[in-house]
Amino acid sequence: MTAYLLRRLLGTLPVLLLITLLVFALLHAAPGDPASLLLSDATNEADVLEARQRWGLDRPVHVQYLKFISAAFTGDLGRSFRFAQPVTELIAARLPATIELAALAVLLALGVAIPLGVWAGARPNSWVDNLGTSVGLFGISMPNFWMGIMLILLFAGTFHLLPSAGRSTYGVAGSQESGFYLLGSLAAGNWPAVKDALMYMVMPALTLGANMVGILMRITRSSVLEVSHEEYVVTARAKGLAQRSVVWRHVLSNALIPIVTVAGLELGTLLSGSIIVETVFAWPGVGSLLITGVTSRDYPLVTGLVLMYAATFVVINLAIDALYAIIDPRIRY
Amino acid sequence: MNVKAFLGGLIVLTLIAVGLLGPLLAPYDPNDQQLRAALQPPGWFDGAHFLGTDNLGRDVFSRIIYGARVSLLVAVSVVIVSGLIGISLGAISGYFGGKVDFAIQKLVEVVWAFPALLLAITILAFLGQGLFNLILALVAQRWIQYCRVVRGQTLSLRGRDFVVATRALGASAARIIGRHLLPNLIQASLVIGTFAMASAIVSEASLSFLGLGVPPEIPTWGTMLADGRAYISTAWWLALFPGASIFVTVLGINLLGDALRDILDPKLKRAGMHL
Amino acid sequence: MKFRRGKLCAWIVSLLIVFGITTPLPAQTRVAIGVTETMETFNPYGDSVSLLYGIWCQVMGCLGTYNFDKGDYEGMLAERWEVKDPNTWIFHLRKNARFHDGSPLTAADVVHSFNRIRTDPQSKQKQNIAPIASAAAIDNYTVSFTTKEPTAPLLEYLFDRFIVTSKAIYDKYGADVADRKYPIGAGPYKFKELIPGQRFVIARNLDYPGMKEKKQAPDEMIFRIMREPEQRVTALLNGEIQIAQFIPPHLRDRVEKHPASKIAPVDAVEIMFLAMSPKFKPWDNLLLRQAVAYAIDRDTIIATLLKGEATRLDGPIGAGQYGYDPNLKPKYEYNPQKARELVKQAGFPNGVDVDYYTPVGRYTLDKQISEALVPMLRAVGIRAKLLTPEWATLWADVQAGKTPFYYMGRGSVVDPSVALSQYFETGGSPRIGYSNPKFDKLLAQERQTFEPAKRRKVLAEAMSLLTEEAPAHFLWRHQMLYGIAKNIDYKPTPSGRMFGTEIRVLR
Repeated sequence: MTAYLLRRLLGTLPVLLLITLLVFALLHAAPGDPASLLLSDATNEADVLEARQRWGLDRPVHVQYLKFISAAFTGDLGRSFRFAQPVTELIAARLPATIELAALAVLLALGVAIPLGVWAGARPNSWVDNLGTSVGLFGISMPNFWMGIMLILLFAGTFHLLPSAGRSTYGVAGSQESGFYLLGSLAAGNWPAVKDALMYMVMPALTLGANMVGILMRITRSSVLEVSHEEYVVTARAKGLAQRSVVWRHVLSNALIPIVTVAGLELGTLLSGSIIVETVFAWPGVGSLLITGVTSRDYPLVTGLVLMYAATFVVINLAIDALYAIIDPRIRY
Repeated sequence: MNVKAFLGGLIVLTLIAVGLLGPLLAPYDPNDQQLRAALQPPGWFDGAHFLGTDNLGRDVFSRIIYGARVSLLVAVSVVIVSGLIGISLGAISGYFGGKVDFAIQKLVEVVWAFPALLLAITILAFLGQGLFNLILALVAQRWIQYCRVVRGQTLSLRGRDFVVATRALGASAARIIGRHLLPNLIQASLVIGTFAMASAIVSEASLSFLGLGVPPEIPTWGTMLADGRAYISTAWWLALFPGASIFVTVLGINLLGDALRDILDPKLKRAGMHL
Repeated sequence: MKFRRGKLCAWIVSLLIVFGITTPLPAQTRVAIGVTETMETFNPYGDSVSLLYGIWCQVMGCLGTYNFDKGDYEGMLAERWEVKDPNTWIFHLRKNARFHDGSPLTAADVVHSFNRIRTDPQSKQKQNIAPIASAAAIDNYTVSFTTKEPTAPLLEYLFDRFIVTSKAIYDKYGADVADRKYPIGAGPYKFKELIPGQRFVIARNLDYPGMKEKKQAPDEMIFRIMREPEQRVTALLNGEIQIAQFIPPHLRDRVEKHPASKIAPVDAVEIMFLAMSPKFKPWDNLLLRQAVAYAIDRDTIIATLLKGEATRLDGPIGAGQYGYDPNLKPKYEYNPQKARELVKQAGFPNGVDVDYYTPVGRYTLDKQISEALVPMLRAVGIRAKLLTPEWATLWADVQAGKTPFYYMGRGSVVDPSVALSQYFETGGSPRIGYSNPKFDKLLAQERQTFEPAKRRKVLAEAMSLLTEEAPAHFLWRHQMLYGIAKNIDYKPTPSGRMFGTEIRVLR
């Protein structure tokens, strides 16, 4: 197992290389030139050319790539054209916002989906099952931008309960150095800041989570349904174990494999930042950074971000595989 | 036959009928604009426009009907193509393990880490704006979920007695995967598939939010939703009806999927489950 | 178990208490503004967005600004200026100009800023000093700029654009640390906080001359990023922000019907047009281009889609822009019959198929407007197929002159000379690919004419020719709507910059 995980980790290096190569190639192949996109419309041709030269865009693509890669090995991902700042700094400043939001969204989704799914699976076709299914389907049918705007109109507009956008109120001293507003304020015991951070997080986290509830609930339900007819469960039941303990001890633990897979996948997607949710709620995470990067063809920024995603995914993938072996001892690598 | 399967079947059949017969059912040309009759609220049964008009004075009801065709086409093709790719790769990866698994999982990681947006922009920029290219852009990212889930389950099934026994009897890998593993993988794949259909429709909306969808002359539910979002507080019908159409479609497909699973999964029948 | 549950309840109750809305009233006046632009960099030269120019101008300081009320330039750090000879401009700095740390601002800082705009690797503002060859400090309070060639509208380039930063801080810490840690300027507002992607906060600097007297100027201004229109309106009605940028036409009612808010409109200086590149068939045909001009019912689009919030253009520019001539000929009226005949005369008796490109979400209702134009074109036999590529792709193609027919806007057109040259002069740029020696001659003549009345006349002649030839059909200028809380008195500017000194908080 450990050997397997180690081998996997070593194997990620070529993957990361391949990804940067692909991103580089695609970005340069896509139409659009960073210099003319970023400079003002009034800039003359000579200055645009000069900017291209300054950013190293006049050199052949493979030279640019090699330069990027050799710098990347020393931990330098270059400087963003758009933001005039080192890419690593930009990502470090934005990632905590995305992590906090994604974590809350996944927790909310799991908190709703697993109990609902287990209950529905244990009593198929009951009203709980039907209700749960409808909730899940509703969550997935509503696009993020629609749901987000509805929440803003409702909770910020009609009820005046929550702030409509952003991440913190100016003047409420939060832990802004680390970038983890919620965790930092919690650790410092700064309750007004905790409240402030939570108020801003509720709506975007709900919007993100709503999308996941559906699929997680259905996966849980169908796995529970499937497992509950396996012989060992029937045996356990026959031995007179109470329904609740059968469900929780035997059924759920065996239904976990697909749940863990999907939750892990979704978490990975959320960590790459939901572009739409971050745009709608003006949430300063990596998703909004990526869209700016892609639309302005900010090569260093996009490549750096993709590298970060890749690393995140590799880690999550490994974690999922490790969890498989813990959940189901029959799985061997 | 039971109520849920019946309801699901009814919804899906209606959708197919609407998709096929759209031009006969729609009261107006979906692209016919009446700028001076824009943003009329739903007339229900006494007005000229059953579900109202949009910001360009086009009939919302007719656009929903025409939109059904395109949205369903996109959703179904994305789900089927990405499902086929994902399930096969996932089953192969999980069954053989070792180098094959390693290679396929590397591929998954590469594609997975790739921003969907960048992939879509590049594909559409090179191949041009259009329905087929949009489907391609969506499929490119979507097979991964099937692949990961199916692989996880195959890993778990591989060690089970019935697979080990079949292998001991000398069955070929293709036969084991096709006959013994696939039926057991259908369950989770169906769930993903039915949900992927919704997210394919919704993704199309998100891409048109960025101007990357199909050309504007083709009405789709996704584009209608994306355009309607600017009017949520002032003309609720623009976003509500396409949203409701997506919901009903997803509901119908899920109900049908449930029924299908019961037919396909002999275990449930044996256990005396009547749905 | 029981015990735990009790604890949980207590926790929930305390959470509910914490969540109760108790916002303490600030002792100072704060004006929060919902804006659509991102603000991301600490480098004052790292961006070229009019809103940010305005913010940095207030924090760091500018040589001067255009006062839209007076219709004239006025000094900020410079108290007066003179044109010594056609190529030499002298700026005299205020002797009492001080940085927020108390040190005096001198000519050396201005020269340093010039060099930084020119050489900073991240600079995106070189276009503002393009006509200038060199800058020199004559003494501590006098700077001279030498232009490459006589440039009458030099202030247009420099004022509101040329940000002055401290040389001493830069020399001491280097660019990165200076920008990040010591944003010390000499403007009427001080830097308080910049959280990239979230907000920019600035506070009143009472030491700035005249600031003590401006008692109603806000003590603090908070620029908050809010991209979605519904969100800006909701936040405004909620009292979260006091000014909301760019309210789309259809949300105007929501703002105006609310008892605590109002709408303030301003004419943008961005001209919207349909480009028809004569480099491509069938747009090489003059009659077809003119047919487009007759086919489009601008008045209906303005009245319906835009709810009257746009001003129709007859010719490249409109009222308030330099060189506007209300009697400019020709004027295209909506005449589909004539358009249909022109299409036939152009050699397309059965109509013609064309691709038509539009950006999405870049200009007010751009996609909707383009969708509305398509049936008007089809009605006269121009079968347009609307395409909406992603902006970067479209813009790259337009700049390279690869897009034959598109909807686009050109911003910051106060004096049309530069924009006309960029789009229509031979060799100006490949964007439209129009070439007409007569037009080129008129533009060259206009640039060398210093006497205003004469220059206006030449400009009008050039614009008349352009309208006649129709390599582009000029449509309208949008009206920008700002949502403003009732207790704020503010008149938005056409350029989009927002100065605290122009905002009054009514108590």
